[in-house]
Amino acid sequence: MDLKKTIGTLKRELDAMTAIQTFIAYAFLLVFLIAPLVLMVGQAFVYQGGASFRWFTDLLSSPEYVSFTSRGGRLFEVRRGVMYLWGHDYGILLNSLIVAFFVTVFCSIIGVVAAMLMGRYRFPGKSLFRVLLLIPLLATPFVNAYIVGKLFNPRGGLINYLLVDLLHVLPWRLDIDGLVGVILAQTLSYYPIIFLNVLASLNSIDPSVEEMAENLGARGLRLFRTVTFPLFLPGLAAGAVIVFIFSLEDLGAPIGFTGARANPLSRKLVSYQVYSSFAEALTGSFSPKIAALAVIILFIAVAGFLIIRRYVNLRTYAMLSKGGRWSPRLRTPSVKTQVAIILSLIFLVTLASMPQIGTVILATSNWAISGTLPTKATGQYLGTLVSDPDVTRAIVNSLLYSGAAVVITVLVGSSIAYVVARRDIPGRALLDILATIPVAVPGIALAVGYFLLFSSKMFRGSILDPLLDPALLMILAYSIRRLPFTTRAVSAGLAQVDKSLEESSMNLGANRPTTFFKIVLPLIIGHILGGAILSFVYSMSEVSTSVTLGALREDRVPITFFISQIVYGVAAVGSVSIGAALCVLLMAVQITAMAISNFILKQKVAFLGV
Amino acid sequence: MVKVELKGVTKRFGDVVAAGDVTLQIEDGEFFTFLGPSGCGKTTTMRMIAGLEYPDEGGIFFDGEDVTNLPSFRRNTGMVFQNYALWPHMKVFENVAYGLRVRKVEQAELKKRVDEALELVHLDGLGGRFPSQLSGGQQQRVALARVMVINPSVLLLDEPLSNLDAKLRVEMREEIKEIQRELGITTIYVTHDQEEAMAVSDRVAIQNHGVIRQVGTPSEIYSFPREVFIASFIGRGAILEGVAGVSGGVPRVDLGGFTVEGVDSASAVGDGDRVACVMRPESFSIGAPGEPSNRLDGVVEWSSFIGPYREVKLNVGGTTLLVDVPPERETPVGGSLTVYIPVRRTIVLPWVEVK
Ligand SMILES: Nc1ncnc2c1ncn2[C@@H]1O[C@H](COP(=O)(O)OP(=O)(O)O)[C@@H](O)[C@H]1O
Ligand SMILES: [Mg+2]
Repeated sequence: MDLKKTIGTLKRELDAMTAIQTFIAYAFLLVFLIAPLVLMVGQAFVYQGGASFRWFTDLLSSPEYVSFTSRGGRLFEVRRGVMYLWGHDYGILLNSLIVAFFVTVFCSIIGVVAAMLMGRYRFPGKSLFRVLLLIPLLATPFVNAYIVGKLFNPRGGLINYLLVDLLHVLPWRLDIDGLVGVILAQTLSYYPIIFLNVLASLNSIDPSVEEMAENLGARGLRLFRTVTFPLFLPGLAAGAVIVFIFSLEDLGAPIGFTGARANPLSRKLVSYQVYSSFAEALTGSFSPKIAALAVIILFIAVAGFLIIRRYVNLRTYAMLSKGGRWSPRLRTPSVKTQVAIILSLIFLVTLASMPQIGTVILATSNWAISGTLPTKATGQYLGTLVSDPDVTRAIVNSLLYSGAAVVITVLVGSSIAYVVARRDIPGRALLDILATIPVAVPGIALAVGYFLLFSSKMFRGSILDPLLDPALLMILAYSIRRLPFTTRAVSAGLAQVDKSLEESSMNLGANRPTTFFKIVLPLIIGHILGGAILSFVYSMSEVSTSVTLGALREDRVPITFFISQIVYGVAAVGSVSIGAALCVLLMAVQITAMAISNFILKQKVAFLGV
Repeated sequence: MVKVELKGVTKRFGDVVAAGDVTLQIEDGEFFTFLGPSGCGKTTTMRMIAGLEYPDEGGIFFDGEDVTNLPSFRRNTGMVFQNYALWPHMKVFENVAYGLRVRKVEQAELKKRVDEALELVHLDGLGGRFPSQLSGGQQQRVALARVMVINPSVLLLDEPLSNLDAKLRVEMREEIKEIQRELGITTIYVTHDQEEAMAVSDRVAIQNHGVIRQVGTPSEIYSFPREVFIASFIGRGAILEGVAGVSGGVPRVDLGGFTVEGVDSASAVGDGDRVACVMRPESFSIGAPGEPSNRLDGVVEWSSFIGPYREVKLNVGGTTLLVDVPPERETPVGGSLTVYIPVRRTIVLPWVEVK
């Protein structure tokens, strides 16, 4: 009886359209997300033809990867008038975890403070700060870290010049580099993720809850600790786990810092090690030890993500919750406090926007070669975007890949969102998780998986073989990695379309496909476009698979690979300023997209820096 | 127009029984209403008739044809949703035309029928507006026109008036009834408002916890409720607890301070049973009626002038009854008052604690 009922339900729910949508979604996720990762995990457990933990025990017992004593580095060391802030090398694996930990802590502190200031106080210039605080979300891959390195260079760095030579406020020059440099660069890029998540939580707290606590005598810190903090903790946790993962997989900072300072310490990170092993991968083989390394960060990232997801619903992670109700909890503090708030926000905004401001300056002047300050403006670098055939080709490649990826993402993402929201089929919850999980999968791990699977015998010589042509694989990697953006945007749209609107259509004689195209689609098209734009922007600035798979064939390189080569200093093309010019292009694309989203589609979608 | 049959229809959501073994026949052209408290399963039952939900057990038949597993779009029912479910991206005309477009009705015919439907609900000339530009009452009319235009075999109305203000509600229900009578369409109506149900229906089914407790004409249900639940759900008046003494088919109920004779409308009362006695306030009269009656002597506890009548709380032997007396009759508090109630209007039911 029960089986009959289940089959009956399945037959009704699984009409042709749902069947096709579900099949496509699962097939896509299976081939381009699960299979590569499973293969990679499998490889990492194979030693001399048998199943073994050998690679993992090797890694964990080798001081190069895990060391409980410092293997070198400098921290708070003052020598000849220079305070060295590099950090210590505790082995590649521990370094990555330590960096990710500190980045998460610092981003949490900055993000929470900024959100409390913006969400609870009234002061002049607030709406301006609302925009300025989000500047770090503008993607300037590699160049941002390069600029941080340049500014904190003890020899001619602008910050040292200002603080030591000009203002004499510091007794020694600062040398921020190595792991500390990576932490600084990542903190500046990622704090808005936590800021936005916490602000959204704060805005959705019913003000009467806090007022009630105040009535009962809780004030100030106590109110914060006992009421406000627990209420925005889910938002904080959601933001924090994403920052942790982003830090773990980031390649921008290690490569950017290397370009600026050539200190090897900034490269002693898992992401960089995996990346650099792609050079030998050109020959067609891939070290299982590196696969094991990728497996470790994949495991940490996915486990962390799933644990937090259980604890808070991460559905809102990419979205600034609808509009944010104007909270009556806003207070106008004393003038002195207002001045203090404004000054601290100016400090934060200036510090955090340095990479973006610096990128624009680099791209439009001779700063790359002039020393402390630029001395001459020039349009020459921006000009190369159209005049240099290599640069132009990278731009065209990125546009093509991202455009194609968006088409796939939209088709698959909308299907998943629709099936998950509306159809009662088995495996629906799994589909929901699979469509979200790419946020947690380190791009570098996905790249390894792709390489292993699609250069294997099974796919050798096919259009998917990255050694032959990585273009298609990059498109697919982009569409998998950006799938959560579209899926979430469409889900948000569907949540606003009452189910009865579809039911009344079917009641009036329209079958499911007709209902989908005539009723559902027109009502969520704004959300679909919003998700598509978001996916496009973040495909354009995608780093991990671009710099690994993209490296496999010269005429297929995308923008970010090109920038990494320039910044790293290995490209023949020349000045880092061209990389900055490309970043200016990326920022322009992003600002345009944001404007379209906010003003034309009226979608309040916050932009994550990926 | 069709005859709708439900045979043993059951639907559960987890532990909740939304429809419990519902067996009913709704006649061709009938105006049939599901009445019951909120959450009793009315909507679910209606949605199964519409094909938007499928029964766990049992079958649904239109004119004898089994439609139990037919998807909604093959049933030709016209359902008006509680929230109207108008499509916000389509103008009124397009909303109404939708069912015809999916049926591929050609343009001239389509326009004619949409115009007729809009006229039927007095919305002529508003076809160019978006739903958001209409008042609640107008939106409700669009929802009605949208289903009427396809000539549905069954019209399904799920609390169609619950979002309107009181005055409009009365107006609209009369209009709906009027349209239904004119077209002779089989109509199934869902409401939790007993007055509404009484006013429009040919027959009413009372539902509670998913189960149909009684089916009958409004006057049957009002005058001869089969259960305490129904008596308390419909109409005013006290429900008194007592002990029955049955002799010769006529139960005498000992209500503590006094005794009345009544009718056992459910034929379920035995000698010595704990029973409920239902006496409607409007069944009482001041003078003795020309039929077997109970005479009750009491003291006025409280009196309030309503307009058409005077509502009196009468203490009879320690028990308080609600009694309507003619408005011109003075009933000073503390004064004594004698009232009569016909035996056939004194309903005796098995006692069940009403949840
Ligand atoms: N889709 C559903 N999932 C779970 N429970 C439901 C669902 N639809 C209805 N119910 C439950 O079934 C019962 C009957 O609901 P409904 O038919 O809407 O009642 P009514 O229309 O009489 O107010 C309620 O307890 C309701 O909570
Ligand atoms: Mg209902």
